[in-house]
Amino acid sequence: MTVEQNFEALDQFPVGMRVLAVDDDQTCLKILETLLRHCQYHVTTTNQAQKALELLRENKNKFDLVISDVDMPDMDGFKLLELVGLEMDLPVIMLSAHSDPKYVMKGVTHGACDYLLKPVRIEELKNIWQHVVRSRFDKNRGSNNGDKRDGSGNEGVGNSDQNNGRANNRKRKDQYNEDDDEEKDDNDDSSAQKKQRVVWTVELHKKFVAAVNQLGYEKAMPKKILDLMNVEKLTRENVASHLQKFRLYLKRISGVANQQAIMANPDLHFLQMSSSLNGLDGFHHRPIPVGSGQFHGGAPAMRSFPPNGILGRLNTPSGIGVHNLSSPPAGMFLQNQTDLGKFHHVSSLPLNHSDGGNILQGLPLPSEFDQLQTNNNNNNIRNMNNNKSIAGTSMAFPSFSTQQNSIIGAPNNNLVVLEGHPQASPPSFPGHQINKRLEHWSNAVSLSTLPPPPAQNSNSIHHHFDVSPLPHSKPDTLEWNNVSSSYSIPFCDSATTLSPPALDTSTTNPRAFCRNTDFDSNTNAQPGGFYDTLQTRQSGNYGPTTDAMLSSNPKEGFVVGQHKLQSGGFMSAEAGSLDDIVNSTMKQEQSQGDLSGGDLGYGGFSSLRTCI
Amino acid sequence: MLGLGVDRLQADINRLLASLFHQGVLDEQFLQLQQLQDETSPNFVYDVINIYFDESEKLLRNLRLLLMDREFSDYKKIGLHLNQLVGSSSSIGARRVRNVCVAFRSASELSNRPGCLRGLEVVEHEYHYLKNMMHELFQLEQQRILAAGVRYPM
Repeated sequence: MTVEQNFEALDQFPVGMRVLAVDDDQTCLKILETLLRHCQYHVTTTNQAQKALELLRENKNKFDLVISDVDMPDMDGFKLLELVGLEMDLPVIMLSAHSDPKYVMKGVTHGACDYLLKPVRIEELKNIWQHVVRSRFDKNRGSNNGDKRDGSGNEGVGNSDQNNGRANNRKRKDQYNEDDDEEKDDNDDSSAQKKQRVVWTVELHKKFVAAVNQLGYEKAMPKKILDLMNVEKLTRENVASHLQKFRLYLKRISGVANQQAIMANPDLHFLQMSSSLNGLDGFHHRPIPVGSGQFHGGAPAMRSFPPNGILGRLNTPSGIGVHNLSSPPAGMFLQNQTDLGKFHHVSSLPLNHSDGGNILQGLPLPSEFDQLQTNNNNNNIRNMNNNKSIAGTSMAFPSFSTQQNSIIGAPNNNLVVLEGHPQASPPSFPGHQINKRLEHWSNAVSLSTLPPPPAQNSNSIHHHFDVSPLPHSKPDTLEWNNVSSSYSIPFCDSATTLSPPALDTSTTNPRAFCRNTDFDSNTNAQPGGFYDTLQTRQSGNYGPTTDAMLSSNPKEGFVVGQHKLQSGGFMSAEAGSLDDIVNSTMKQEQSQGDLSGGDLGYGGFSSLRTCI
Repeated sequence: MLGLGVDRLQADINRLLASLFHQGVLDEQFLQLQQLQDETSPNFVYDVINIYFDESEKLLRNLRLLLMDREFSDYKKIGLHLNQLVGSSSSIGARRVRNVCVAFRSASELSNRPGCLRGLEVVEHEYHYLKNMMHELFQLEQQRILAAGVRYPM
């Protein structure tokens, strides 16, 4: 077939798919040939394996798929299978009259992409094109460089690859789940990031920011930044996409916080946010699929973060926090428990280290944080104090944010940051009891007036609680901070009712905490609820107080929850619970508010974790 | 007259087919073969069945030779032959032949010589029965075509 013919044929894929059929049994071969023709494939037949190999070797691009019988006199079908796989890397389907599982297993281990039993039915043959698509798709996936889908001539396939690439893309969209969609999003962001996700660690980000600063924010160009950063294996595309996210991030927080402040600690905050940006192209409406690979992504990312509270890590895993940053940030990032240790890192992130002194400043929490942070490293505290909630000055978060940090730090692990989609959580946050935080949270999610949430359940563990626009402001991105701070807030509020000592400390600033929870009017319910649940669970003493607190402050709940999460004692104990809570909240959301109360949180958590 | 002849012949064909299906000699795979026959392959069924007969007779002859041999011990080879028989029989829809071949194959896997001999006889019997039925079917079909007029290529 000429290239043109290939091109045309492939355009109508699977029509015209070129199949090589090998079977020493003439009857079966004839039938197979006719069946394949009826499926509109282009068929070549031979009854000898050797001849088949010759045909294949003659022109590697001549065929798309090979169907071969297993029992052949001149060569074992499995041998042929191996050779074809090695030399030509074509999908091979085995045919046999024998349904012995050993044969099937042998087929699988030798690399057959399918094993059909005689008599072959036309229905089965109608679907064999999927193997070609899959194999091409896998090949594309395997290649890390550039966007092969654009038809940058893959090995062996040439034009057909382009066409099939299109077909692949189409099919991928249809066939694959959101993980693939994610990948596609990443792809949209930057082809370079498609396969090799560059994990923007704090150090890396610091370098990036330093380079940007050096060049001048306005004048920063990816190429120059890349040169200044002088990092191996970093491509211009990586930098460009990161820069884009960074700019968006700055825009977002510019209104809220002191940009300088943010710049001072851009790494954490930005990273935090950037995670949400990852694959999302900014914070938009995309519920962060908690359960999806995002978390997974985050987990490793988190691990890579140095222990100085890289909140960003939390985010990065899957843009957990940052998704939907456009609106109230979901401060909640769901993190793997294992990464909770990083939690403190996270806390530092959202909280501006700089003196930007926004939200955090106001909060008298620091003291509380200290207490909370028994297990946390000092970073948290520092973060606390330093972090001015990026979210923004407008919010009363400041204290929260700091608190958050400490809280975050405290747990040392299992910081579950739920990325609520703001939208998800309805403003019904207030009125939730702390002990029912999760419940509320999930309720909020499910109840959320926001349209998406329910739908998003499937997608994200987090209900969109961070999606909804923060009433107060920006801090959406910081949401996390806010969240965390709010986290602490509710904590305070609920502290009164909550038994855990850690919580008590927070009581000193009940209001402050509550504020935090507020970061997202819409999402209030969510974040708080979530944390609330967490908290309540932990303290086991969730009572009306928390509810009251929640009610007073949508974010409260969230904060409370966070607080709990963060407090060292709390968190560590609850690490699992966080997941549970998250999970439960997720579940809740899905079940439309069928919350069982505090327990929800924990239950949810675990489920969340598994979701991840 | 022609029309009647055609109709009668067609009825005979249908009756024969129905009977074969009923007896389990043929199964739905045969129907699929018939469906594959169209303008591009007008004699598809006939061609395929003939190929099947040729191949199967060779296989059966080999099997008989192998088993008749006093020092026969190569059950594996019998298994291979039978595999092919099973595959081709099932592909054309010859269910009964296929089933007895499977039974024969099991005996060969157990290296059961008397079982194999018995199996071979059964297979040969079923095979010949099928062959006769197919011949009759094709004859009727040919007559019907003739009766239907010269439209159809002979």
